[in-house]
Amino acid sequence: MPDLIVLSEASIATAWNVQGDLHRADFAAAATRCFGVALPETPNTVVRNVATAAFWLGPRSWLLLADASRHRDVLAEAGGVAFDVSASRVGYTIAGPQAATLLARHCPLDFDRQVFAPGTCAQSLFGQVNALFYRHIAADAFTLLVARSFDRGVIEHLRTSAAQFGYAAAASRPFVAD
Amino acid sequence: MTQAFRLAAGGEIDRARPLGFAFDGAPLCGFAGDTLASALLANGVHLVARSFKYHRPRGIYGVGTEEPNALVQLATGARSEPNVRATTQELYDGLRAASQNRWPSLRFDFGALNDAFSRLIPAGFYYKTFMWPSTPRAWLRYEHAIRAMAGMGRAAHESDPDDYEHQHAHCDVLVIGGGAAGLAAARAAAQAGARVIVCEEQPRFGGSITDPDAAIDDAPVGAWIERARAELASSPRVTLLPRTTAFGFYDGVLVGALERVADHLAAPPPGFPRQRLWKIRARDVVLATGAHERGIAYAGNDRPGTLLAHAARTYVERYAVRPGTRAVVFTNNDSAYATALALHAAGVDVAAVIDPRSAPERDGPLASRAKDSGLAIEAASAIVSAHGRLRVSAVDVAPLAETRSRRIACDLVCVSGGFNPVVHLFSQARGTLRFDDALAAFVPDCLPLPITAVGAAAGRYGLADALAQGHAAGKEAAARTGHRSAADLPEPRSESRGMTTVHALWSVPSKGKCFVDLQNDVTADDIALAVREGYTSVEHLKRYTTLGMGTDQGKTSNVLGLALLAERLGVPIAAVGTTTFRPPYTPITLGAVPGRERGAHVAPTRHSAMHDWHARHGARFATAGLWLRPHSYPRPGESEDDAANREARNVRARVGVVDVSTLGKIELAGRDVATLLNRLYINTWDTLAVGRCRYGVMLRDDGIVMDDGTTSRLGPSHYLMTTTTVNAVKVMQQIDYLLQAVWPELDVYATSVTEQWSATAVSGPRARDVVAALVDIDVSHQAFPFLAAGTCNVRTAQGPIAARLFRISYSGELAYELHVAADRGRALWEAIITSGAPFGLMPYGTEAMSTLRIEKGHIVVGAEADGRTTADDLGLGKLVNPGKWCVGKPLLSRPGLTDPQRWQLVGLTALDGAMMPRAAKLVTDPDRAAPNPMEGHVTSWCYSPNLGQWIALALLAEGRARDGETLWAVSPLANARVRVLVGSPCFIDPDGKRLRA
Repeated sequence: MPDLIVLSEASIATAWNVQGDLHRADFAAAATRCFGVALPETPNTVVRNVATAAFWLGPRSWLLLADASRHRDVLAEAGGVAFDVSASRVGYTIAGPQAATLLARHCPLDFDRQVFAPGTCAQSLFGQVNALFYRHIAADAFTLLVARSFDRGVIEHLRTSAAQFGYAAAASRPFVAD
Repeated sequence: MTQAFRLAAGGEIDRARPLGFAFDGAPLCGFAGDTLASALLANGVHLVARSFKYHRPRGIYGVGTEEPNALVQLATGARSEPNVRATTQELYDGLRAASQNRWPSLRFDFGALNDAFSRLIPAGFYYKTFMWPSTPRAWLRYEHAIRAMAGMGRAAHESDPDDYEHQHAHCDVLVIGGGAAGLAAARAAAQAGARVIVCEEQPRFGGSITDPDAAIDDAPVGAWIERARAELASSPRVTLLPRTTAFGFYDGVLVGALERVADHLAAPPPGFPRQRLWKIRARDVVLATGAHERGIAYAGNDRPGTLLAHAARTYVERYAVRPGTRAVVFTNNDSAYATALALHAAGVDVAAVIDPRSAPERDGPLASRAKDSGLAIEAASAIVSAHGRLRVSAVDVAPLAETRSRRIACDLVCVSGGFNPVVHLFSQARGTLRFDDALAAFVPDCLPLPITAVGAAAGRYGLADALAQGHAAGKEAAARTGHRSAADLPEPRSESRGMTTVHALWSVPSKGKCFVDLQNDVTADDIALAVREGYTSVEHLKRYTTLGMGTDQGKTSNVLGLALLAERLGVPIAAVGTTTFRPPYTPITLGAVPGRERGAHVAPTRHSAMHDWHARHGARFATAGLWLRPHSYPRPGESEDDAANREARNVRARVGVVDVSTLGKIELAGRDVATLLNRLYINTWDTLAVGRCRYGVMLRDDGIVMDDGTTSRLGPSHYLMTTTTVNAVKVMQQIDYLLQAVWPELDVYATSVTEQWSATAVSGPRARDVVAALVDIDVSHQAFPFLAAGTCNVRTAQGPIAARLFRISYSGELAYELHVAADRGRALWEAIITSGAPFGLMPYGTEAMSTLRIEKGHIVVGAEADGRTTADDLGLGKLVNPGKWCVGKPLLSRPGLTDPQRWQLVGLTALDGAMMPRAAKLVTDPDRAAPNPMEGHVTSWCYSPNLGQWIALALLAEGRARDGETLWAVSPLANARVRVLVGSPCFIDPDGKRLRA
C-alpha cells in the first residue's frame, strides 16, 4: 500500500523577488527576455519553462526560481527591480493521496483539485505562519514555502498531523515546479 | 451483573461483544453499540443523578443530545470530564462513570434537604440574596454555602493529555443530519455532481428511525439507509462525518462542527487526536437536524423512570432494552402510541395510555392500532401527579373535567408533549421562526441565506415527508451551486407518515413540583412567580429563573416554559417569541478550540540560522517578538547576570560578537527611494552617498516616535533599511501602505529581506582585527570609516561567502555588522568565533547588548520610545529637519508635544552604592504622603560592569535642565528607595572617540 503522506524538504537554490509594472511594455518584454517566460498576470498562476518558474505573488510582484543577479540592470531600465531572496524561504513537499487533507488541517484554503488546480499557487497561512502553496502537476503533491525562521514549528506541525496517516519521510530534493 | 432488562433479540447492539463498565463503582456489563445510558437501563439502573438545585433523584430522560438529567463524571485522572451526557456517551470496555452533585451517595444525598426547604429558595432567590439582608458581610458568608451546594461535576486538575486538531473543509452542499431526510438530500446532491459533506451526530447514520416495520422503496428502512450510506461513502466527492456535531453557524456560511474521533474509546490511538474541530465553508446547507421531544409539566414529572416517549421506544427498538416492567404512556399526540406498541411488543405491561384528546384514534392511525392491539386508552385524561422517590411507583390519573383521580401503579412513565424541530443552526444564521399552531412548535420560517430545513427540522414528521423534502432540497441545493444531473435520481418513497397535529396541553395543574426545566430545576410555579414579579419578557424570564441556561440549553424545556409564560400572560405563544439561539448547539471541549495551537505552539517561534550554535554553547534564550534570542552564555557555575556582565566588559575591553539576525531588514529599489526615505524619517536622506549608512527615526502620524534604525545606500537606487526586531512587520506594512495607497506615483519597490540575511555585529576595540582577518577588503578607518557600507567576501572553513559589511555601532564601540545569506549564517558565525579567538572575542547576548546600549544612552523602542515620546523627548530633536515634511511632522507642533514641562531622556546614577530598583518612579521627596507627585520614571536600568555601579535611563520632567540634581527612585512594589543623580544619558565615550577609532 502506498504511503498516504510522504514528507520531504524541497531545497531552493536561487529565488528572486521580481517587481515591476506589466502594463509597461518594456518591462514585460525585458522580463520575458531575462527569464525566458512571460511573467504571469493572472493571480495565483505559475509560468514555467525548463530552467525557471515564475509564481504570481501580487499585481506587481513575482517569485522567480532563477538567478536574476545578472538581469538587475536590464530590469531597472524598464522600471523593474529584482531582490535576492534565495535564502528567505524553505520548502516542504507533501505528497500522497492525503496531502490536501493534511494541509487543510492548518490552512483554510480549498485544496480541491478543481479549485486549486495543478500547476497553480496560492498564498495563505499555515497555522499562524505566512505560506505559499504550490500544487505540482506531475504528482499528487504540494510544496509549501515558509519563511526560514519558522521552519521548526512548521515541520513539527506537518509531522504531528501526518502521524495518523503513518507518513514516510523522503530525502531532500531541489524544488522544481513540475 | 446480568443485563436483566435486555431483550433476547433485536436492536443494533452486538451481543457477541460484551463490554464491562462501572457506574459509581458497581461493575456492570453492556454490549458494543450501547450508549452508557442504554447499558445502564439494560441493567435496570434508572437513578443516575441528583438535580442541580433541589438534589432530587433523577433518571435517564432522553436518548440523545437533549438529555437534561443523566449527566455523569466520566473517567478518572487527567481524562476525567464532568457533565457528560450518558445518552450520547458510547460504551467502551472499562468505561468508568460516576454520578455528580451528591454527597455522600446517590441514594442518600444530604443536599436533598434543599428539596424540603425549597420554599426558601424560589426562582431568583440568588438575586434576592444580593438585596437582603443589606449588609454585604452576610452575602460574603452565604455565598460560600451557595457555591458549595451548586455546580455539577468537577474539572480535572491535571493538564489535558489528549491532542485536538482542526480541519478546514469546503463543499457545495453541507448536509447536517444523517437521517432519512439528510441522506436523501446528500444522495440527490451528490448524484448531481456536487461536493457534499454530511455531518451526523451519532456513530451511525439513520437518525431517529427505529420503526422495524417501515419501508423505503419497498426495502426495509435499515437496508435502504445502509445502501444510501455505502453509495455516498464510495463517492470521492462526498465526505461522511459520523460522530460529528455541527455546533455553530458563523458569517459567510461557515459551520463549526466537532468530530469526536476517539471519545468512544478509552484513549485515542497513537497519533490521533481526541477530537477534531471542522471549519466547513459551504455554498449551500441542508438542515436535516430532526426534532427533540418535550415533556408535560405535572407534579413529580421528574421521578426516575420517567422517559420521553420517543426515547423509551428507541431504547426498545435500537438497544433492545426494556426500560421498565409496567408502563404508563402520557401523550398529547399520536407519535407516542408507537412507543406504547413497541413496549407492548417487547413484553412490557402497558397499563394505560393517557391522552388529553377526546378521541385519539380519530386523530391518528397509530392510536387506532394501539386500540386494536388491546391497549387501554384513557381519553380526555391527564396524569396529575407521579409518586415514588428513587423510582416512579405510581401515577394519579384524572379525567380533564374532574378532580377525582385514579392511581395506577407503574415503574415507567413515557411522556410526549410534542416535538421541537431542531432549529438552532437555522436561528443562529438569523433565520426567523414561526409558531405552528397545529404542531404547537416553532418551525423555520424564512432566511435570506441558502439554507433549507427539511424533515422533522421543518416540522414535517414521518419518513414519506422526510424523503420527499430531503430529496428535493438536495437537488435544488446542488442546482444552486451549478450542479445538475442529466438523469434524475428517482425520489425515494415511503408510505410511513408521521403525526401532523399536537394537542396543546403544556401542564396539568396540580400540587407539588411540576418541572419545566429538569436540568436547572425550574418549575411551573417558578415561571408563575417570575411573571408576578414582572419578568414578562422571555429574555428576562430566562435570566430570572435560569430556564434553559443549563448545559442542555433547554432543549426539552424552553418551548414548554414559553408556553407557560404565554398562558400566564394570556397571549399567544407567537407573541412571546423565543430566546436567542447562540452557538454552540451542544457543549464543545475547550481543547478543541485552539487545536494544535497550544502549549509551545500558542504562537509560532522564530529561530535564527545560528540558533543551534547558541544552544550548543550554553546560551539561555529570551523572547523578542516571536524570536528566541540568546540572553547570555553562562559558563559552568556562572549565573546569567555574571555572564552578561562578563560579556559586556569583554566588549569594552576586547571584542564581542552578537547575533542581530532578528533585526527587520527591508530592501528598497527605484528612482525615488530617497524621496520616500525623506518622507518616512525625520532626518534628511537625499544627501546620503552610495556606500554610506545613516541612523534615522520614524514617527507615527501623531508625531510620536514609531521606530528607529539605520538605512544604507548599497547602490545608486538600491537601499537597505533596518528596523527594530519587534517593529519589522509594522514598518514593512507602513511602507506598503504608503506606496500603494498614498504615493503610488513614487518609483519605489520594497521587499522584506529579514529572512534572507543573517546578521552579526562584531564590537569592541579589537573588532577591526577580527574583521580584517575575515574579509577580503581593507577595513581600516581611512578605507572604511564610521558609517561606511560595502560588500566583501568572508573567508570561512566552507570557502568564501559573499557578505555585506557596515560600520555601525549600537554598543558605542568600534563595530562592524556583517550580513550573509541566511543559509550561510552559521558558517559566518563560526568563522567569526574562530577568527576572533586570538583577540579574546566572546559571543554576547541580548542582556549584555542592553547593558552596552544603556551605558551609551541609546534608546530602545518599547522602553524609552514607549509610544508616548517624541524625538525631542529622547534627545533626538536635532535630527528633525525643519526644511522638509515627513510622516508625523505636522502634529509635532501640537501644544501637548511642545510643552516645556515634557519628560525628557536623562541618565541616572544610583548613589550610596545602591542597586537601581526595578521600574521605579522618580520623586523629590520619598517620605511625602501618597499620592506622591511623580517627576518621571526609570525606563531601562542595569548594573554597569564598566562603571562599577547601577545606572539607568529615565524620562524626567524638564530632565535636560536638571543635570546634577539629586532625586529619589522609589518602587513601592519592590519596597525600595534609592538616591539617584541626574545626568546625561550617555555614560561612556560622550565624544564618540571609541566608535570612530
